[in-house]
Amino acid sequence: MSWALHRIDDRLIHGQVLVAWGARLNPARIWVVDDGVAASDWERELFREAAPGIEVRVAGVAEAALAHAAEAAAAGAAFLLVRDLGTARRLAEAGAAVEEWNVGGLHYAPGKEKVNDYVYLDARDREDARVLLHAGGRLVVQDVPASRAQPLVTLDPALAT
Amino acid sequence: MTLPMGTEGSGETPPATRVPALIVTHADLAQALVRAAERVVGRIEDVTLLSNEGLSRDDLEDAIEASIQGWTHGGLLLTDFWGGSCHTCGASAARRHGELVIVTGINLPLLLDYLYNRDRLSAPELAERLQQKGRDSIRVQRGVPA
Repeated sequence: MSWALHRIDDRLIHGQVLVAWGARLNPARIWVVDDGVAASDWERELFREAAPGIEVRVAGVAEAALAHAAEAAAAGAAFLLVRDLGTARRLAEAGAAVEEWNVGGLHYAPGKEKVNDYVYLDARDREDARVLLHAGGRLVVQDVPASRAQPLVTLDPALAT
Repeated sequence: MTLPMGTEGSGETPPATRVPALIVTHADLAQALVRAAERVVGRIEDVTLLSNEGLSRDDLEDAIEASIQGWTHGGLLLTDFWGGSCHTCGASAARRHGELVIVTGINLPLLLDYLYNRDRLSAPELAERLQQKGRDSIRVQRGVPA
């Protein structure tokens, strides 16, 4: 058992991930997969220190894609966090086999349309989502374990076309 | 949402050495804490409040940055818990403000202690004191069976 949660959330490590999903799935490791964070010494350090008691690994997309299969066989549960659908798509295209993405928080920005209270998408997000869906991935919207899990295509029927 | 507390009315300006505070929390905890503190000590001034509600990392960081823009001599960022977005976004914003110190795990005794010491201690001294105060305030008293 290793991969317990692949999550798309623009906050990366934060309360819902550490407290709610952490209590449910008890991760030993959290991978923060983000080229920007990986390129910044101080941001790497910030996230490494953000989860006391949990090992945080910060990696760029290419590095994470290479390590993905090995991590799947490692001991203990692991989370993988990306900030947007585009990063999830690039990770998949780089070879990471992810069956299900938890869509946990894509917040409002200018030009984005509301899907629910914590998911807003624009045309580019939808294009990235379609690529992930066509490749056989599932996109499941659920901010915390206690809330209802719903397929993104159900909440945003435009994606089905 | 940023709510500067009580900037009008008293006619007094804060001491030049006062350490300003920005409280950043989930939901409306910051407002509730200040309301509770006001029940104890009366009207509170020079404390700024912010919620992370509905904000992405970038937007929360920008909101924190905007709230501390006028701080010329540093200040304190009080957040609810370590590793939450209020803390990590605060740490990002703090990088550009040398004298800014973050204290996580805010509670009511910690907030009250801040209010009584913010005019006499520096931000780093205050942060050390509040860390201890917040810890010491958590105590357990067991019931005694009749």
